[in-house]
Amino acid sequence: MFSNYFKMAVKVLGRRRFFTGISLFGISFTLMILILLAAFLDAELGAHQPLSDRDRLVFLDRLIMKLEAQDTVYQIDSTLVEGQMAYDSTPVINNRNRSYSSSSLSYSFADQYLHDVAGAENHSIYSSMFNYDLFINGKKLTFEAVYADEQFWEIYDFQFLEGRPFRQEEVENEGLVVVLTEEAALDYFGTSEGVLGQYVEMDGKQLQLIGIVEELSNSKGFLSGEAYLPLSLANPVVLNDDSFHGPFEMVFLAQSIESRATIKQDLERIASQVAMPEPDAYNTLVLMPADFMGRYAHSLFYMNDDPERSQQVMFIVFGALILLFVLLPTLNLINLNVSRIMERSAEIGVRKAYGAHSQHILLQLVFENIILTFIGGFIGLMLALGMLYLVNDSSILPNTTLRFNLPVFVYSLFICLAFGIISGLLPAWRMSRIQIVNAIKQNQL
Amino acid sequence: MIHLQNVTKVYQTKVIETTALHNINLEIPDGEFLSIMGPSGCGKSTLLNIMGMIDEPTAGSVTVAGQLIRDYHSKATARFRNEQLGFIFQSFHLINELSVIDNVELPLIYRRVSGKQRRRMAEEALTQVGLSNRMKHFPAQLSGGQKQRVAIARAIVGQPRIILADEPTGNLDSAMGNEVMDILTRLNQEQGATIVMVTHDETMARKTHRLVRLFDGQQVSGNPVKTI
Repeated sequence: MFSNYFKMAVKVLGRRRFFTGISLFGISFTLMILILLAAFLDAELGAHQPLSDRDRLVFLDRLIMKLEAQDTVYQIDSTLVEGQMAYDSTPVINNRNRSYSSSSLSYSFADQYLHDVAGAENHSIYSSMFNYDLFINGKKLTFEAVYADEQFWEIYDFQFLEGRPFRQEEVENEGLVVVLTEEAALDYFGTSEGVLGQYVEMDGKQLQLIGIVEELSNSKGFLSGEAYLPLSLANPVVLNDDSFHGPFEMVFLAQSIESRATIKQDLERIASQVAMPEPDAYNTLVLMPADFMGRYAHSLFYMNDDPERSQQVMFIVFGALILLFVLLPTLNLINLNVSRIMERSAEIGVRKAYGAHSQHILLQLVFENIILTFIGGFIGLMLALGMLYLVNDSSILPNTTLRFNLPVFVYSLFICLAFGIISGLLPAWRMSRIQIVNAIKQNQL
Repeated sequence: MIHLQNVTKVYQTKVIETTALHNINLEIPDGEFLSIMGPSGCGKSTLLNIMGMIDEPTAGSVTVAGQLIRDYHSKATARFRNEQLGFIFQSFHLINELSVIDNVELPLIYRRVSGKQRRRMAEEALTQVGLSNRMKHFPAQLSGGQKQRVAIARAIVGQPRIILADEPTGNLDSAMGNEVMDILTRLNQEQGATIVMVTHDETMARKTHRLVRLFDGQQVSGNPVKTI
């Protein structure tokens, strides 16, 4: 029976080549997009270097200071009394923000309050990007520099192409050393090989190059710089500034995935216990920690200092994109299948006259759709592999390598199979219920 | 045996009601070759479709091969149709995408028959209609007479007791029509198949055992043409 169905499926696909082409395009294109999207998400959000421990990380890059005070507002109510409008007022006491200030952390705040956070196995304090102009051979280069402690390299497992990270003694003793990315070394020295030990002039200092790391993708901008320097080399004014806001952020490595919640709770506790230096200006402190997803989303969709909200927005946007790519071809397929199947009523009539019952017809038509889906799936796989090669080979996504993800292919194929079944089921069901005598009257077979 | 009792078929739309068959009573014994004649629109094909359980009567009862047909849409009726009946249509109704032998195998794929056995039975049926050398061909490569012979092979491959033919020679020239008629007559005589044939052709009808005439949905005669 299935060999007959298979023969029929192949023949039917060949009968209306244009429609078959559109259907196959829909399936294969969808599959290709899903595989590319999954590869991109994996490259961006997967546990790859330097974020191999991303699931245990808690980021803290936002400190909010507020002045909260109670305020009384009168709510006016009106009603009709004996034909006359009467008014009454109710006092409502609100907790209102009168002042609000949000920024990253100062070194002194992080150093004073955040070294001992419950649930954390390790932590690092590092700066946001400082831009430095460098002049080499009459050419101006701009490097983004990150000042970091030695734990930075323990938590973020950067891939060192050459050399090493800076050590504790270099951080403590203002060691004049620097780690560059491969591209920065190439820009500065004209080559990235054999340049270890040479000097880079930056911020008026001669820094010895001790390591070269692999470039990060632009989307990991919250982490990537061109040069990494010991924390102690940062401007002393910045380091010694005792206000709470400053150009630093922190990352905590949790003891376990579950411990991230402990870290967040403890940060909340710490924030509530910190004595505010000027309570008349700001009387409330809020720390906004984020998991990796929240931190990543926050760098893409900045939503009011709230990483969780940013994460929600990111999931909605990505979800809508995926839905769009899945839903449109499904609707397209249903539409095509309706016309493709309806024009076969005479054949269905003959089959039923010769003993096929509704389930046979339903099975046959859905089977044909599944065959179509698998052919589309195969083409989609080939297209996706080709596109992955092209994207990696080009500079569309610099410093990002997209990898083929087998589970995603299997899931995508499963989704396509579901398309095939769902899109074929409705017209097939309608056709399986058709009266034989009416079907046979359609002379075209 | 086919037994029709007070069979009436009414087509109803919102505007008009058309009686296609009115109170038909007919008994067709096993082994009979019966022809139905009448002007266009008199209900011949409707009557044949009702006998074949591919259309439902509005009133009356139909008994085929000793079984009173109650549910025209059940699996049991589909199986019964598959085992007991073979259809031949005026416009052949072959599936163009399938080869001759695959078309002939069609009734057997809805039975539990192995692929090997299906092939053997289809080859036998095609040999019976003289088309053993056209098995791999496709319908588009055949003449009208050959297509109808393929349709006959498809109708007989499952060895049904009853063959229902709706103007089997209607689309053929007289030579091909005679060829098809000879095959049907042989099936009736040699294998004892009950055949009901709708036709416009008096000459063909005279080759059958009995001729039933319809006019405006009513049976106007049912005279034997010759004895069985």
